[in-house]
Amino acid sequence: MLLETHRDEIEAILSRYHSPRSAVLPLLYLAQDTYGYLTETAIREVAAILNMPPTDVFEVVGFYTLFYKRPVGTWVLQVCDDVPCCYLGAEELIAALKQRLGIVEEQTTGDGMFTLQRVKCLAACDRAPVLQANLDYVYDVTPERVNALLANLRARAAEARQRGVSGRFAEDFEWGPDGALIRIDRAAPYRPRQFPAAPPSAPPEPEPVPEADAGHDQLADRKGSPL
Amino acid sequence: MDLSEHIIMRELDVPDINDFEVYRRHGGWEAYRMALKEKTPAEIVAMVKESGLRGRGGAGFPTGIKWGFLPKGVYPRYLLCNCDESEPGTFNNHQIIDRNPHQLIEGVALSAYAIECHTAYIYMRGEFAAAAITLERAIAAAYRAGFLGRNILGTGFDLDIYVHRGAGAYICGEETALMESLEGKIGQPRLKPPFPAVAGLYGKPTIINNVETLANVPRIVEKGVAWYRSHGTEKSPGTKCFSLSGHVNRPGNYELPFGVPLRELIESPEYGGGMRGGRPVKIIIPGGASAPWLTHEHLDVPLDYESVAAAGSMLGSGAVIVLNDTVKAPHVAYKMDEFFKHESCGKCTPCREGTHWLVRVLHRIAEEGRAAPEDIPTLHSIYNQMAGNCFCLLGESAVMPIKSALTLFPEEFEAVVAASRHHPHGNGHGDGRHGPVIPLTAKR
Repeated sequence: MLLETHRDEIEAILSRYHSPRSAVLPLLYLAQDTYGYLTETAIREVAAILNMPPTDVFEVVGFYTLFYKRPVGTWVLQVCDDVPCCYLGAEELIAALKQRLGIVEEQTTGDGMFTLQRVKCLAACDRAPVLQANLDYVYDVTPERVNALLANLRARAAEARQRGVSGRFAEDFEWGPDGALIRIDRAAPYRPRQFPAAPPSAPPEPEPVPEADAGHDQLADRKGSPL
Repeated sequence: MDLSEHIIMRELDVPDINDFEVYRRHGGWEAYRMALKEKTPAEIVAMVKESGLRGRGGAGFPTGIKWGFLPKGVYPRYLLCNCDESEPGTFNNHQIIDRNPHQLIEGVALSAYAIECHTAYIYMRGEFAAAAITLERAIAAAYRAGFLGRNILGTGFDLDIYVHRGAGAYICGEETALMESLEGKIGQPRLKPPFPAVAGLYGKPTIINNVETLANVPRIVEKGVAWYRSHGTEKSPGTKCFSLSGHVNRPGNYELPFGVPLRELIESPEYGGGMRGGRPVKIIIPGGASAPWLTHEHLDVPLDYESVAAAGSMLGSGAVIVLNDTVKAPHVAYKMDEFFKHESCGKCTPCREGTHWLVRVLHRIAEEGRAAPEDIPTLHSIYNQMAGNCFCLLGESAVMPIKSALTLFPEEFEAVVAASRHHPHGNGHGDGRHGPVIPLTAKR
């Protein structure tokens, strides 16, 4: 089916390489966008087109993180939790998304709209916390902006289904001055993030060291125990 | 220190510079046209060699010398542009492409001409989908104008440039793993030698250069070696696009001549704008995740390859992460090594197992606040077993954060040990004894 529906695109991809096998990643992206995720049949189809042993293609699919071997939501939300994102609000963002969507990492919402993933490094550390929605970058996503973001993405669900999850038609988004999500004018010079100047704050209270047997055998509990 | 003219981010103040015609009106593609008509490939290689341009991807190897390694008379040759940037703190490549894709394409085309290659691939990190599309559009414009394709400008030179998107694997930024991935295999590094210049993509001579490196080439050819060398330092000529992130007021990419002091990058109102909330600097990671850490004592170190090396670290990719005193060293090491564990390709045992155990022990210390006294020697033991024994630099890099944390902030690890001294589960295995830290049967 892939070959019949996308013959021209497949031929164009194959013509770029000395060896057909080199086209495995672009063809897997094509299959993923066609079927929504990489079914076993789709992987075997790609193997047949490239005349590769299917096990080799399964191996490739398993190695790279941007291929999905099970159904994912219309929008795959990938939140970067790496240094420096984790120190600039990524954990708070992930907690807000989990709470708002009612799912944990690697799960998909009941309506099939969102899949949530933690990912390692999106190379946009200057705009942390950052996430990608089907490989569209969305910058400076603080927990307060989560509701607006999800509403915006829901409104663009039909567009997302048409474009697929592999980012073959990706764009970038950022927050406008009025708090709305706007598409970046890619001709505009890039603007580094500006933090509001704040007076130096007092150092935080030292965190209490966890009690050796916290929650298990507290003196207070023992007092209240009928034993 | 200010630049009168940017090299990598040239003409950034011109509106729509990412448009082909605008770029051309501002002198774009002139170096390429002149080189094709007036210079031999050998002359371009000589210029790049004399300019002292060093690879910006991390290793800092002189680019012209690398090009000179190609065996004479062996064709076809390939040029690969490495845009698989994916290390915490490193984020300039896709912004170079977003801002000025034509400069990169001109750099790729010029370099391909210099090394007598007719097919070049730009290997892009899979997540950079938008940048890949920007680049595809820009390449299409260059084909339409006759700067790419067959018999370019009537000189008989042929060149095709293709964008190839990876699919999410940091290791594919390692040059031999990149070639494996481009050949349709999983991205695991190859044994060197043979080096790519001798036997690379499809077994043919191959040159692999980083985006930022290639973006320098048009300016070197256009303005000459002397002009280029008037920037930066004697051993590190030119400029570097420093990616500044972390607890600074203005994180972002700043193109500066080599030799700018770290303090100026962090504190100058034009660049970093100082620390957020005025809090003190605690940890500076000056060259990407794999660079040994520096502290506030190193704020006056000039940012060039030699000075940063003399301070005990490395400039690497120029990704400067600055963290304030609210972070805990074991936690930073844990997050960094979690990245390396996630990205280890699994080919060699020291890296695959070492990163796993580093993260397992560090998770207990940094996230749960529990440590047995044996944990610290164990961490030393793991990194000593990894250092020098991994197949490629990823495993070697994973050693740096934990080594830095244990060397610079040992008291923070000891504090966790002290706090968990009377904890019945201090070793994290729930058996009530300080048994072996790495059990023979691991619970996964």
